[in-house]
Amino acid sequence: MGLWEAFLNWLRSLFFKQEMELSLIGLQNAGKTSLVNVVATGGYSEDMIPTVGFNMRKVTKGNVTIKLWDLGGQPRFRSMWERYCRAVSAIVYVVDAADYDNLSVSRSELHDLLSKPSLSGIPLLVLGNKIDKPGALSKEDFMEQMGLKSITDREVCCYMISCKNSTNIDTVIDWLVKHSKSKN
Amino acid sequence: MAQPLVKKDDDRDDEAEYSPFLGIEKGAVLQEARVFNDPQLDPRRCSQVITKLLYLLNQGDSFTKVEATEVFFSVTKLFQSKDLGLRRMVYLIIKELSPSADEVIIVTSSLMKDMNSKTDMYRANAIRVLCRITDGTLLTQIERYLKQAIVDKNPVVASAALVSGIHLLQTNPEIVKRWSNEVQEAVQSRAALVQFHALALLQQIRQNDRLAVSKLVTSLTRGTVRSPLAQCLLIRYTSQVIRESPNTHTGDRPFYDFLESCLRHKAEMVIFEAARAITELSGVTSRELTPAITVLQLFLSSSKPVLRFAAVRTLNKVAMTHPMAVTNCNIDMESLISDQNRSIATLAITTLLKTGNESSVDRLMKQITNFMSDIADEFKIVVVEAIRSLCLKFPLKYRSLMNFLSNILREEGGFEYKKAIVDSIVILIRDIPEAKESGLLHLCEFIEDCEFTYLSTQILHFLGIEGPKTTDPSKYIRYIYNRVHLENATVRAAAVSTLAKFGAMVDALKPRVFVLLRRCIFDSDDEVRDRATLYLNTLGGDGEVVETNKDAKTFLFGALDIPLVNLETSLKNYEPSEAPFDIDSVPKEVKSQPLAEKKAPGKKPTGLGAPAAGPPSTVDAYERLLSSIPEFSDFGKLFKSSAPVELTEAETEYAVNVVKHIFDRHVVFQYNCTNTIPEQLLENVSVIVDASEADDFTEVASKPLRSLPYDTPGQTFMAFEKPEGITAVGKFSNVLRFIVKEVDPTTGEVEEDGVEDEYQLEDLEVVAADYMMKVGVANFRNAWESMGDDFERVDEYGLGPRESLAEAVSAVINLLGMQPCEGTEVVATNSRSHTCLLSGVFLGNVRVLARLQFGIDGSRGVAMKLAVRSEDEAVSDAIHEIVSCG
Repeated sequence: MGLWEAFLNWLRSLFFKQEMELSLIGLQNAGKTSLVNVVATGGYSEDMIPTVGFNMRKVTKGNVTIKLWDLGGQPRFRSMWERYCRAVSAIVYVVDAADYDNLSVSRSELHDLLSKPSLSGIPLLVLGNKIDKPGALSKEDFMEQMGLKSITDREVCCYMISCKNSTNIDTVIDWLVKHSKSKN
Repeated sequence: MAQPLVKKDDDRDDEAEYSPFLGIEKGAVLQEARVFNDPQLDPRRCSQVITKLLYLLNQGDSFTKVEATEVFFSVTKLFQSKDLGLRRMVYLIIKELSPSADEVIIVTSSLMKDMNSKTDMYRANAIRVLCRITDGTLLTQIERYLKQAIVDKNPVVASAALVSGIHLLQTNPEIVKRWSNEVQEAVQSRAALVQFHALALLQQIRQNDRLAVSKLVTSLTRGTVRSPLAQCLLIRYTSQVIRESPNTHTGDRPFYDFLESCLRHKAEMVIFEAARAITELSGVTSRELTPAITVLQLFLSSSKPVLRFAAVRTLNKVAMTHPMAVTNCNIDMESLISDQNRSIATLAITTLLKTGNESSVDRLMKQITNFMSDIADEFKIVVVEAIRSLCLKFPLKYRSLMNFLSNILREEGGFEYKKAIVDSIVILIRDIPEAKESGLLHLCEFIEDCEFTYLSTQILHFLGIEGPKTTDPSKYIRYIYNRVHLENATVRAAAVSTLAKFGAMVDALKPRVFVLLRRCIFDSDDEVRDRATLYLNTLGGDGEVVETNKDAKTFLFGALDIPLVNLETSLKNYEPSEAPFDIDSVPKEVKSQPLAEKKAPGKKPTGLGAPAAGPPSTVDAYERLLSSIPEFSDFGKLFKSSAPVELTEAETEYAVNVVKHIFDRHVVFQYNCTNTIPEQLLENVSVIVDASEADDFTEVASKPLRSLPYDTPGQTFMAFEKPEGITAVGKFSNVLRFIVKEVDPTTGEVEEDGVEDEYQLEDLEVVAADYMMKVGVANFRNAWESMGDDFERVDEYGLGPRESLAEAVSAVINLLGMQPCEGTEVVATNSRSHTCLLSGVFLGNVRVLARLQFGIDGSRGVAMKLAVRSEDEAVSDAIHEIVSCG
């Protein structure tokens, strides 16, 4: 990016500053906190500790400031997800696409959450993470297993990503930025 | 009149302007709390709302579970703001809301981030909140951060970690104890508050280890503690070490030099703390007291009210035990009587009352009267108590003191205050015969307009006892009968009883009392009517001038020597039938805490909740149990059952305790056995008792236990015969004998073949106290007088050198197994002599009273004079026998 372009971006951000709020949820060890790190700084670490509670991060992409509520995925936090999803611009649901055993749990948690009246109409982005691992599901299988076709009451999008290799992260950011505009 | 009222309202309006929170409502504030969810946060606004929420919580408003949860989760959203002030409020409200554990965990990660942030304010506060909400598992995760924080160079952070440690010590002592090294380093900190908190935590970590505390104090008193607050703590810990160290009467008291040197500290709080510590030393000598009194005297003329207050309050306490030491300060205290601060003035005057001489009494009384109406009830009680002790000290002054008491009795006051006055008057009447008539009349006047039912009934009861003995009992009748017209049912019933007592004691008044009592039969209250009818019948005759018979008098005046709890149990068990309820069947034993109950916590974790003691614990239940066993049915009435005595250590294979049942001519041992091994079934369980060291006892019966499965308590019995009337004592050694069979714990199958085995139990003793029941009397003097000296036996004993007077007294009480009366089992520290009053019922239902007078000499030798009165000569002798053998 040229210096001039950067300056223009900055100038634009002054005039068209936008904010959006996102909730990042999914089972433990799906890669939520890693995703936040990758989106915010581009860095990736193998060695993560489980999130006890939530992490709050603000990330600026272009002229959009994104507030990220990165919530813990352990069972004891799942009942609290809904509280942090109310009135957000979009819900991002992260799934470990190589962990077959937990797919059904992940699926039912997602559908439980979406059935809450307070969250109706909020766009949903489902991310199948860890596609760098051998044996990760393909997008079609993944969508099938997660039962995404059955969700009709809101906008649903699904990407297969890898935080480790930064695969498709740009696509995700684009999707997010686009949705910040659609809101307001 | 109208003007001041209006002015008052104005005042209130002014106040309303000062508090921005006056009249805020919970509902509205909870609505406002929605701003926490706004996408664009306004930190200022949010801080204000949190302040309001905190205000509500601190005013005693409580949030419902739903409300609290809702507020809590919206507060967590505020972690997105980087505003320092708002974050501080967030910490506060999280602590204050203290949401349930499963919810509060949501902020853990955010707090851990703050705990390691670069902002010191975040770090300190996050530590405090995190420690408040944490549980054991999380604590181990954050432990290393906390250890670092303790030695952090920022004092605010270090203090936060140390204070959190003090709180966590209650819940997770094991973890906090691992921080000793860091805490010790913090004790050396240059920051005053850190040193203070570190010392407090270090002491608490070691508090159960007396030696370690002593070492800590020794090393710190030599070193330099800079913080005055820490120095004050150190003084307190030092006093504690002094208290706990054995009294060496040779040489100087340990650490006294340290306390004395603190009197020259530059901080006033340290000086005061040291002075107070010295005055509170047990057995303080006047030489030790002098320097402390000197600094307190200086404080008396300080310009700071708090110092004057502290000094005079301490001197007031000293005056109770060492009045002579305080006399030097009298001049300074005289000037404090006119102190602006009424609390200081009150304490000064009451101190002077304690130290002053007879001539100054009248002057001081006048001064007190001047400001009595200005001080709070709490201090009025202090004054009343001072007057009472003064009056006992100078009986000749009773007139002016009694007048003072009756004057203040007429003034406004709360219950505690009025009770203190009434108690004082009652004590004066009892101890100063000349004061009786006027005192009783003051009390009579008081009940004419008394709003406290409790006090009215007390006074009526007292009148009933003392009134008939006065020269002109008839003048009290009017006051008493007025109560029947004017008061509530409780007081009316008490008045009826009092009238009856006058009728019983004063034969001349009897016809008139009868007329009054007959009117009471038409009262609207059941209790009042019942009492009137009962007394009319008891007093007998038709209201003629005849002498009341003795039975009626004992009924009216005798003390109820049955513990009310026992009476209640017996009445509940009584089933309506032809046979009337027999009050003699109520056990008289004061139920002591069963041994097993005390030991229960920490005892074997195996059980399925099986009680450690045998199932029956009350005397009643024991009696039922024993009479159901045919072998023991002819032993007669059970006299007493002891508390269970453990015969095994805790946590052993078999748990056995024994209860001693005493009959007139027999003793039955009830062994409560519990098998704590799941793989075993015991059969034919019996206890083999060797009574070779108990000559007077012969074995007559035994009742083995057929089978004792795992964790189901069972009982086996042994019965012995002993000569009647003799307090036979002896030692019994016990062996548990049984056949053990293997059990498969999973299937519960029992193997056919068993092996005979034995298990050694601890020895058991029958002591003289086993033949004595603890039965108290309400008024020892009355009981003593009415027992008469027909069978009084007096003798003197040397008890040899003893550790202390208190130790000697409790040893004799335990030896005799009698109930101490009127709190006389407590020996005042430092006293050289003590009188102890004991009461009990001896085997054969013989009442026994004992008066023990103890004296201790310089070489700690204790001498005792024992006077025993009982209803039976042999028993009086037996008591002396017990003492001379013991």
